[in-house]
Amino acid sequence: MGLIRSIFMTELLMGMKLVFKQMFKPYCTLQYPHVRHDIPDGYRGLMSLLRYEDGSERCVGCSLCEAACPSNCIKVVSDEVPGQPLVRYAREYYLDITRCVFCGFCTEACPVDALAMTKVYEASVFDRRDLMFDKRKLYELGEQHLADGKAYLIAHNMDDGTLFPKEGLGDNRYSFPPVDLGEGERPVTVGLTREALEMELSKQ
Amino acid sequence: MELGTTVLLAVIQIAVVMGVVLLSVAYMTYAERKVLSFMQDRLGPMEVGPWGLLQPIADGLKLFMKEDIIPSGANKIIFAVAPIICLIPALIGFAVVPYSEGFSLLGGTGGTITDLNVGLLYIFAFASVGAYGVILGGWASNSKYALLGGLRSGAQVISYELVIGLSIVGVLLLSESLSLRAITEHQDGGFWHWNLWVQPVAFVTYVIAAVAETNRLPFDMPEAESELVAGFFTEYSGMRFAFFFLAEYANMILVSCLASVLFLGGYEAPAEFLNFVPGFVWLALKTWALLFFFIWIRGTFPRVRFDQLMKFGWKVLIPVALVNILVTAVGVYIVNN
Ligand code: SF4
Ligand code: SF4
Repeated sequence: MGLIRSIFMTELLMGMKLVFKQMFKPYCTLQYPHVRHDIPDGYRGLMSLLRYEDGSERCVGCSLCEAACPSNCIKVVSDEVPGQPLVRYAREYYLDITRCVFCGFCTEACPVDALAMTKVYEASVFDRRDLMFDKRKLYELGEQHLADGKAYLIAHNMDDGTLFPKEGLGDNRYSFPPVDLGEGERPVTVGLTREALEMELSKQ
Repeated sequence: MELGTTVLLAVIQIAVVMGVVLLSVAYMTYAERKVLSFMQDRLGPMEVGPWGLLQPIADGLKLFMKEDIIPSGANKIIFAVAPIICLIPALIGFAVVPYSEGFSLLGGTGGTITDLNVGLLYIFAFASVGAYGVILGGWASNSKYALLGGLRSGAQVISYELVIGLSIVGVLLLSESLSLRAITEHQDGGFWHWNLWVQPVAFVTYVIAAVAETNRLPFDMPEAESELVAGFFTEYSGMRFAFFFLAEYANMILVSCLASVLFLGGYEAPAEFLNFVPGFVWLALKTWALLFFFIWIRGTFPRVRFDQLMKFGWKVLIPVALVNILVTAVGVYIVNN
C-alpha cells in the first residue's frame, strides 16, 4: 500500500488539491493605503494635549507625566500663568516621540486628563526633528483628534464625569465597589504600623 | 526562394516569436505573483494599472534604471558575460519550436523559425550552455553565497538534464524523428493520439526534471533564498540581474513549450472539430497550463534538501526513465513487426 501510494504520489497530490481549493477562497488582506483597519478606541497612537471647552489649556504643568514616563522622553517647563498668581501651566512641553514606547503611563499619571493618545499610527517623517513634539504640535494634534483623544480616555477608564461635562460622559467610568472592612477592623493610619498604632492607643 | 526573402521571413518570425516570448516572460512574473497570492489568500500586485496589470512594465523600468554594481574582487569580464551566457540559450531554443501548422508567407513557409531535423538535440545542447552562465556567474562574483549557489546549480543541472534526456527517448522512439514539427505531426488528430497516453511515466519524469532544471521550487537549490540570499545572482543588480531573471522565466516557458510539443500534441487541436482555432492558440494554452502547474507546485511544496534532491534524481528518476526506455523500445519493436 505504502509503495503504491508513493508511486502515485497520493500525498503530494492531496497537498496540491488543498492548495488549488485555497485559490478560490476570498482574500483576507487589506489594501492598506486605500482601505484601513478600524482602530479601537483604546489604541495607543501618537500623543496629544487637550484643551478645555473654552479653549484654555488643560495642562497644569505638574510634571507628573515626566516622572511617570519610563523612557524619559517628556520634559515639562512649568510656570505661573502671567498675571494669575498660583495658577500654573506648562510654559514649554517637549515630547520625544522617537523614544516614546507608547505605554500610556503619562496619560494615566496626568491628574487633569490633559494628555490623551490619538489613533495616528503613521508617524514616519523625512526629518527626525519633526518627531520632537513641542507644546504647539501636541495641542495641534489634540485639536485635530479631539474625538479620538476623548474616546481614548473613556476606553482607559480615566474620565470621571467632570472632564467632558457637556457630553455627560461620566457614566462611562467604571467605579470600584466600596470596600467593607467588617466590624472591629479599622483602617490603618497612614505612616504607622499596626503595632505602633496599638501602642499609641494603649497609651491613651 | 531567394536569399533576401528567406532572411526577411526569418527576421519577421524571429521578431514575432521573441516579442511573444518576452511578453510572456513579463506576464509570467505577474501571473506567478497573482496566482501565488490567490493561493495564499492575498491579492498580489494591485497598484500599477488595473489589478496591477502594468506591474511587469514598472518592474522592468525599475531594473533598467538601477545602478549596475560590480563587486570588488569580482572577475569583471566573466561577471559581465555570465548573464548573457545564461539568457541567450534560453531564448535561442524557441527557434525550433513549431508554433503553428506550416503556412505560406512571402513565398516561404512559416510556422517555425527554422525546422531543424535535430531540433531537440539543438535545444538540449543550448540548455547545457545555460548552466555555464549560472556557474560562471556564481564563481565570478567573489562571494561565498554566489559560489555555493553556482556549485549546487552545476550538480543539479547535470543530474537533471540526464533525466530530461532519458525521458524524451521514449517519445523519439515513437515518432522516429528529432524534429519538433515531425513529433507534433505524429500526434495529429485528437487528444487520444497524444504521447501523454503512451508515455505517462516519461511525462511525469520530464516535468519533475524540468522543474529542477529551471531551478524552481521545490528544487530551487541554487537560489534557496533562505540559505543563500539569492544564490548565484546574489551580487548582481540592475540589468544583469534582470537578465538572469529573464533567463529563468524564458527557460520555464521553453521547457513548458517543449513538454506541450513532446507530450501534449503541440499546436494540434485536442479534437478534429476544434481545428478552426489557430495552432498557436493551442500551443499557448498548453504551455500556460504547464506554467500554471509550475506555479502551483511552487505554492504547495517546501524546498527539498540538497542530498534529497540528488538522491531523488539519481536513485529514482534516472532508473525509472531507463526502465521506461526499455519498455518503450520493446513495445515499439513488437508493434513494428
Ligand atoms: S507613552 Fe509612555 S513612553 Fe510615551 S511619553 Fe507617555 S509615558 Fe513616556
Ligand atoms: S500633561 Fe498632565 S501630568 Fe503632564 S505636566 Fe501637564 S498636567 Fe501634569
